[in-house]
Amino acid sequence: MPGVSLKGRLLRLCQKELKETIRDRRTIVTLVLMPLLVYPIMSMALNRFLLTNVSSDDGFTICVSSELESEILDQWLSNPLSVPPKAIADSSGGELAKFQVAVITDVPPAEAVARNDADVGMELSNIETGNPTATFFAYRGDSVSQAARRVVVERLQWLKLAEAENLLKRTLPDYRTPVLVSAEDVGSVEENSLLATIVPLVLVLMTITGAVYPAIDLTAGERERGTMEAVMASPVPRGYVLLSKYTAVVVVALLTAIANLVAMFTTLWASGLLEFLTGGDAFPWLTILQMLGLLVLFSGFFSAVLLSLTSFAKSFKEAQAYLIPVMLLSLTPAMLSLMPGITLSGALIVLPLVNIILLARDLLSGSVDPNNAFVAIVSTFAYAAAALSVAARLFGSDAVTRTSEKSIGSLLRRPREASSRPTPQAAALMLALLVPVYFLVSNGLMRFIKTSEDLNVSFALLLNAIALIFTFGLIPALAAWMGRNRFKTTFRIQPSGLLSFIGAILLGLGAWAFAHEAFLLADAIGIGGLSDQQIASAEASVTKMRESSALLLIACFALTPAVIEEFCFRGYLFSAIRGAATPLRTILITAFLFGLFHVLTGKALLVERFVPSTLMGLIIGWVAYRTRSVFPGIVIHFVHNGLLMLVLYYQDQLSFLGEGFDDQMHLPPLWLAAASALVMTGTLLIWVSSRNQPPGKSENKSDQQQADTRVT
Amino acid sequence: MLIVESLQKSFQLDDDEVCAVDNLSFEVQPGEVYGLLGPNGAGKTTTLRMILGLVKPDAGYAQVSGFRTEVDPTAVKSRLGFVSASDGVYPWLSVREMLLYFADLYGVLPNEAASRCEHLAALMGIKPLLDRRAGTLSTGQRQRVTLVRGLIHDPPVMLLDEPTRGLDVVGVQTIFEYIEHLREVGKAVVVCTHRLDEAERLCDRFGLLHHGRMQQTGTLPQLRQQSGHDHLVDMFIELLRS
Repeated sequence: MPGVSLKGRLLRLCQKELKETIRDRRTIVTLVLMPLLVYPIMSMALNRFLLTNVSSDDGFTICVSSELESEILDQWLSNPLSVPPKAIADSSGGELAKFQVAVITDVPPAEAVARNDADVGMELSNIETGNPTATFFAYRGDSVSQAARRVVVERLQWLKLAEAENLLKRTLPDYRTPVLVSAEDVGSVEENSLLATIVPLVLVLMTITGAVYPAIDLTAGERERGTMEAVMASPVPRGYVLLSKYTAVVVVALLTAIANLVAMFTTLWASGLLEFLTGGDAFPWLTILQMLGLLVLFSGFFSAVLLSLTSFAKSFKEAQAYLIPVMLLSLTPAMLSLMPGITLSGALIVLPLVNIILLARDLLSGSVDPNNAFVAIVSTFAYAAAALSVAARLFGSDAVTRTSEKSIGSLLRRPREASSRPTPQAAALMLALLVPVYFLVSNGLMRFIKTSEDLNVSFALLLNAIALIFTFGLIPALAAWMGRNRFKTTFRIQPSGLLSFIGAILLGLGAWAFAHEAFLLADAIGIGGLSDQQIASAEASVTKMRESSALLLIACFALTPAVIEEFCFRGYLFSAIRGAATPLRTILITAFLFGLFHVLTGKALLVERFVPSTLMGLIIGWVAYRTRSVFPGIVIHFVHNGLLMLVLYYQDQLSFLGEGFDDQMHLPPLWLAAASALVMTGTLLIWVSSRNQPPGKSENKSDQQQADTRVT
Repeated sequence: MLIVESLQKSFQLDDDEVCAVDNLSFEVQPGEVYGLLGPNGAGKTTTLRMILGLVKPDAGYAQVSGFRTEVDPTAVKSRLGFVSASDGVYPWLSVREMLLYFADLYGVLPNEAASRCEHLAALMGIKPLLDRRAGTLSTGQRQRVTLVRGLIHDPPVMLLDEPTRGLDVVGVQTIFEYIEHLREVGKAVVVCTHRLDEAERLCDRFGLLHHGRMQQTGTLPQLRQQSGHDHLVDMFIELLRS
């Protein structure tokens, strides 16, 4: 299809999906009518709830039926002796409840309370005897009314007690109060505004409401209308059609959520509830902006999940049957935001949906931990990508036969035929598994090492290497096995010439200097950098590592990462992405992922590692592309890591070389010149060694072979 | 032109493997209408789906204008037009928007698509409907829109799956005229149907399919000579009994 821009086509496909969805009157109902109707009704209900459950600033109202009763009650309540001792007041919040006495003559006090004219009613009898009896009325089941009665009764009890005590002291001068009581609080209160607590729940409801209908209509609905087969018969890539549908679902979910947000805040503001919910006077613009950001995250996640589920369905009805349990299940983690004890920490950081709900709560209450937030966002995007890759595998497959060839079970089945490389969708699934597993394993390992003080350093190093093998080694291998991808081509196990290995060694020897300079440059522009505490901690780690042998250190920190990470990044991921992207994009994407995973180590995000690691990823990616093999990259990685480890290990012995090893200083020009010479020679050797095998053609050998078989 | 070579496809149904298409081969030349005939379950639709790249064959291939399905499925798809009786429309798009959407799916440039849309709409008599919402069309109007959709990218090969199913006399006549037009403009056409009387009127050559196998193939006179029957219906009854 020459002359047709793919981006332009994708844009037009998105426009069509959006037009189709937004014109549908069912979308209009969820997009416009629901927010217009639901929030005013909800605010009325909330208002009523608050009116009956929260006392006003003016305090409680007590009604009586005569001026005399009013005077007597005023005297009692204004008598300082009716004020409880400070300890009692402190243990009840410190503030004395206010009371207003109202005279209501048209109905008895009990009836006035029943019709909500007052919180409490009082009737006095036997006034003339000088020994009156007070009866207080409260409304059964009304917590405010009950509380008001409890307080006023207590105040009168304190009055009686204080007068009795005074009398005792007057008659018995030696009388002493048996015990003096005081009250104090410890700890701190979690300052969560009501808005921060309920908004995550509302966000879930908003985005699901918006995404459900278009997700069903654009997949199962398309099947039911009989348009799916015609679309699948066209030459447009299936991924394009799915991506345009995903865009439409995200946009509609966002629009619905924004419409809900506007309606909700407008209604709350108009009804005067906003101040109560936010706990302040100012209109919460920042909160609204934060919520918009969160909505993008929620919409992206839910749209992908819903599309993956509706891709299974053959009809609208079947899709609804899949989605209803998901909606109900989604509300369960949403309720977590209402529970004060649960925080965004530990495994919850990578638990789908729970992590972004807790993140929303923390963000809105201003107590978000940036490290945890970053991991939660990255893992959520990984889950969304995985859900989309599931959808891509299933989407349109039912157009193939009326009795679908694919089902939920087919996802777990290995394909019949072997393939030379994984698909980008399979790579997305692999990454979605790798992110949380790696996070949990690295975190768990760090905690274990930290808590086991007498742990042998060599054992800790070995554990580190084993963790790496289980995550970056085993997960891609498992993914390749599941996808029946040929290991040789998937992991790019190709022999490479001697010249390329010599070039790789030189690159490895020289590249660290540029990685170091990149680290300093990143520090200068504010990406990362090490704090004094981090430097001290790193130095302590290096000192501890010296307790182990240099050989073990090289094996665990140079050889294992070099082999395992290269097979993962320049093997599995490189071949998967190369199937759908140009060499340049493949190098850029794998380098970015390589940098990103070096940041996600343990609890603290090592942001300072991003730039140097990505730079190394770019260099090794280029070498992997030129040589078509994973092995030269392993050599560069090994030499680079090994060199750094040896320098750290023998730092004291190498002090005669000067201050070049200081983490925070630029390298001497001579060093940089030597490193440049090494890098240039290495690059030249790699280029010469692969000159006779243009990588662009040989990389896609299978495609080339296929093209050659075309009959013309 | 279209070449189908040794196509083979089996489906797994519970524990049994059912052979839907068994070593099927045929050719269709430009300007020729080929009738792929057979009772329900004979393997006609599966064959079309393998040609379209919707089903991966276990063996064999289809070749369209020099491009083979297993080598360059995208090139094959872009050279095929497909019309099925079960085709639907997008109810919330106008007819024009829907046709331009499909033109886009086939990579037709927007300007070219717009002029082809006008030309084909005039040809099929749906010009007044172009700006109507597709959901408001009658069955006959929808059918004509679907026929235009199949030709929007001017494919050299057209595949029609049970095109007259569920249509009234006027609708059937529209299909006949459509196929006649395809023949005139030099398209290679494959019509899958079990309506043998219609096939006799429409097609230049026939392939009689049963249990996924090609039982007989040729022009009507050749089939008459081979079978000893005058009509396709009689040939089929004998086939089913054998």
